[in-house]
Amino acid sequence: MSQRTLQSEEEMMDERDDVMVEVSDLRTYYDEGKLFGGNPVKAVDGVSFEIKRGETLGLVGESGCGKTTLGRTLVQLEEATSGEIHFDGTDITTLSGPELKAWRRDAQIVFQDPDSSLNDRMTVGEIVREPLDVHDWKTPRERQQRVRELLEKVGLQREHYYRYPHQFSGGQRQRIGVARTLTLEPKFIVLDEPVSALDVSVQAEVINLLEDLQDEFDLTYLFIAHDLSVVRHICDRVAVMYLGNIMEIGPTEELFADPANPYTHALLSAIPEPDPTAHRDRITLQGTPPNPRDPPSGCPFSTRCPARIRPEEYENLDDTLWTQLDLLREIVRERKRAERGMSDRLKSLLGRESRFGSINEIYDELFKGLEIPDSIQPVLEQVADDVRAKNEESALELLNEEFGSVCDTDIPAYHPVGDDGRVSLCHRHEPGHDTPRAVIDRRHR
Amino acid sequence: MSMSSDETDVVLTLRERIAANPRPALIWVAGLALLILLELGRIVGWILAAGGAVRMVIGAIPSVPWWVADNVADGLSGVSGGLSQVGGAIGFSVTAALVLIAGAFLVKSLFVPFSVSKKIGLDARQIGPDALSEHLLERLVIAAGLGVGAALILVTPVGGAVDAAVASLTNALEWVANGWTLSDRELISNEGHRSPDGGWEGTFLGLSPAIAWSIRVIVIYAYAFAALVWLWKGYTTYREHYREADWTPRDDWINRFRTHYWGIFGLIVVFGFVVLALWAPALGAANAEANLYSPYQNEFEYLTDDGQVESVAHGTANIQSRSQGGDSTVGIMSYDEYDRWAPLGTNPDGKDLFTFLAFGARTSLMIGLIGIGIATSIALMMSLITSYYKGTIDIATIVVSDTIISVPVFLMVLLLSVVFQQGNHPLADIYSGGLLLALIFGALYWPGLWRAIRGPSLQVAEQEWVDAAKSYGQTPMITMRKHMAPYILSYILIYASLLLGGVIITTAALSFLGLGINPPTPEWGRMVSDGRSYVSTSSWHIATVPGILIVLVVTGFNALGDGIRDAMDPESESGDAGATAAATGGGG
Ligand code: SF4
Repeated sequence: MSQRTLQSEEEMMDERDDVMVEVSDLRTYYDEGKLFGGNPVKAVDGVSFEIKRGETLGLVGESGCGKTTLGRTLVQLEEATSGEIHFDGTDITTLSGPELKAWRRDAQIVFQDPDSSLNDRMTVGEIVREPLDVHDWKTPRERQQRVRELLEKVGLQREHYYRYPHQFSGGQRQRIGVARTLTLEPKFIVLDEPVSALDVSVQAEVINLLEDLQDEFDLTYLFIAHDLSVVRHICDRVAVMYLGNIMEIGPTEELFADPANPYTHALLSAIPEPDPTAHRDRITLQGTPPNPRDPPSGCPFSTRCPARIRPEEYENLDDTLWTQLDLLREIVRERKRAERGMSDRLKSLLGRESRFGSINEIYDELFKGLEIPDSIQPVLEQVADDVRAKNEESALELLNEEFGSVCDTDIPAYHPVGDDGRVSLCHRHEPGHDTPRAVIDRRHR
Repeated sequence: MSMSSDETDVVLTLRERIAANPRPALIWVAGLALLILLELGRIVGWILAAGGAVRMVIGAIPSVPWWVADNVADGLSGVSGGLSQVGGAIGFSVTAALVLIAGAFLVKSLFVPFSVSKKIGLDARQIGPDALSEHLLERLVIAAGLGVGAALILVTPVGGAVDAAVASLTNALEWVANGWTLSDRELISNEGHRSPDGGWEGTFLGLSPAIAWSIRVIVIYAYAFAALVWLWKGYTTYREHYREADWTPRDDWINRFRTHYWGIFGLIVVFGFVVLALWAPALGAANAEANLYSPYQNEFEYLTDDGQVESVAHGTANIQSRSQGGDSTVGIMSYDEYDRWAPLGTNPDGKDLFTFLAFGARTSLMIGLIGIGIATSIALMMSLITSYYKGTIDIATIVVSDTIISVPVFLMVLLLSVVFQQGNHPLADIYSGGLLLALIFGALYWPGLWRAIRGPSLQVAEQEWVDAAKSYGQTPMITMRKHMAPYILSYILIYASLLLGGVIITTAALSFLGLGINPPTPEWGRMVSDGRSYVSTSSWHIATVPGILIVLVVTGFNALGDGIRDAMDPESESGDAGATAAATGGGG
């Protein structure tokens, strides 16, 4: 949204004061499987960022990357496993009881699904009024008054007070949800894909409403979305999330125009290019994101990265062959995980036969018609032997040793890119490596 | 805001809305008053009965801590006398505290909409550790209040004063209850005798008992139907004149139910059954006290063959009116030797079968309502808690409920009722074992109910509006009550009506086996059992009539449940859910 140009003098003087939410090394794990053993789901796995007062920070990523969990943790709907969330200086992860309740007035959330976010058995008035009742705001009559004003503010009518959610369209229901979050005059609102469940025709209206409200009430937004064009339109800055980590974060225009991180490249390449002359190839990512119970030990994106660093001696192997080698590694990793005997994992995998076919079948499928250089032939044979001997562990070790790199072993650091405080999580920003853009251009031409 | 829109905002409470347009409400209230007046005696009688039950329960609660203390002391007395006293005291205080806190939760959520602790100036943040939340403090304050109140009543003369007040109120009500009542047996009496000149004496307008009795039955059912219609009228009046919303989801349910003929059939059957139970004393062709319970203490007059009017005890007459097959049968729609009208004949003891049946309906309904009431309350509470908090408590409840479910209900009921009755436990005496049975049903049926609604409850708990409530700081208690309970309740209602049929069958089956409800309290299963050896004789009616009624009523409850389900949840086709519950009921 519009950059706040009318900042008061005081705020300009103190840069720190400009930060509203400061998240440091936040982790949110789900321990659902704990009772039966197994790793927790690492939905958010160590993120740090800031949200400045009055800005809109976009949060994008594929579904399942942890963006919704992150948003829910920020408003304390999920408990953080570790890390801190400073909200105007207070670490809200330590709040409880009355303090937590008092803080909740400042931070609200708009949910994705307007069908599920409104209790159908209550009238619109009761729904929007409930936060006021909870916080014992003024008199009941004044509450009703305020609810009606809010209904008007979000583009509904005052008479809608006694209607039921059933009587409204999806877009109108979402407006009701927005009115509810506004009742307590919050400073910060998490918008969890607020328009993705709506018809395209009404999406723009709701977005405009959100923008207007932000201007009117000086709101700070965390805008979670997977529709990148909306994000580009509405957000001041964007954070790109993958597998519980923020891969890149920075000013929207810069990030869209010149993505730094390989994952951002891949994500942006999926948007249809408005300018037909500038053709950017769509980067198709191999396979699916890894299981968040068992993320890769190096870079979170290393299993699918189109720009992954390769060992020098194999730098000029054919790209198709590389793709197949990466796939082979994934298959072996998957087999090893299945070996651990998580029965439910097994079941889901049993459907996919190739993964449990014999190693010969797998090789056939992967490498048929490809020319395999002599240098890697012995490695592949050793791997096949290990897999046949049910020793996936050592097969994987061998593969990592031969074809792995710093991407698979070390978690990268955030490197500053661009001029405006943008950072990206990737080894390729270290000196001595080609930039992701150069590599992607080379490999995906 | 402009002034004009402020004016449309003027919010009226229901009372103000009625004051603005009092006519429809007044008409309705006048009709209601007339209806109440017509049956004043009986309605007050019901209130007295309900009050008596409440008094009994409240009276029993204070004895719980003493009972625990005694048991603990007994258990420890073998070890040492001192230990036993200390243990008893500890048991007493712990139980008393638990009872008080449980009471506080109940009282708070039912009767206290404001914060007592705030009123008396207590603030959780100032006085207590972190764990002491506002809500807990509130409950503790109320518990303390209850404790003081209980102590006052139990140990000081205040108790006597309260007792006296209650007694005088009861007396006043009893006086009213003895007053005029439309369905009074004496008013449209079918009890009289033939007069020597060929007419009838003592009956209503000198009509024959059969006709007089039929009139009374029609009057009662017409009255009950009118009352039902009037309640409905009350709802529509509210909807048309006083409700602010012009549409609510309830309207859709009602519209769907209205076209659900199977459900309406169920409603009619259930209505007939409930009326039979509620008005049993008035509907019976014979006076229950005289005919069933103390036949030798009560006499009536009849015309002998020689044209004399003589008195005879009911008991003596009953012996001559027994239905035991062959010639000695008083069948359906007939008079017995003493010209007493027996609409459904007599049973093998010569007692009036219809009267027996009506009081049996009472027994079944009572057991069903109490048992299912307990089961649904526990199931609802547990499902709210387990689906809101999930995790460990959910798993623990699964284990407990599966353990209970794994034992066939019927077997368990059989076992428990034998144990209690053999042990001559005082519980087994109340209502001839009916209360005991109801409690057992309550304890055994909740796990099944909880299991049946676990899926829907978890679904509701997953709804984003529950998260939304949490996000603005709503308490778990209110979130459960406001945002989850209404949804779960509709499911529970469906299963409860299905299970009620199951309870009726199980009770009947137990009594058939000679367990469950002991004589003289009438019970349908025992009627079937009594008449089973005469099924192929001329006295076939004894077992057949109650048998058919059991089937009809159980079907009726199932149909009603189906109707409610389809009305509330049109997507779910009549499916597994209903079948399972019915099977549990039937097999149970
Ligand atoms: S660190 Fe390696 S795997 Fe990760 S994004 Fe950069 S190049 Fe790709």
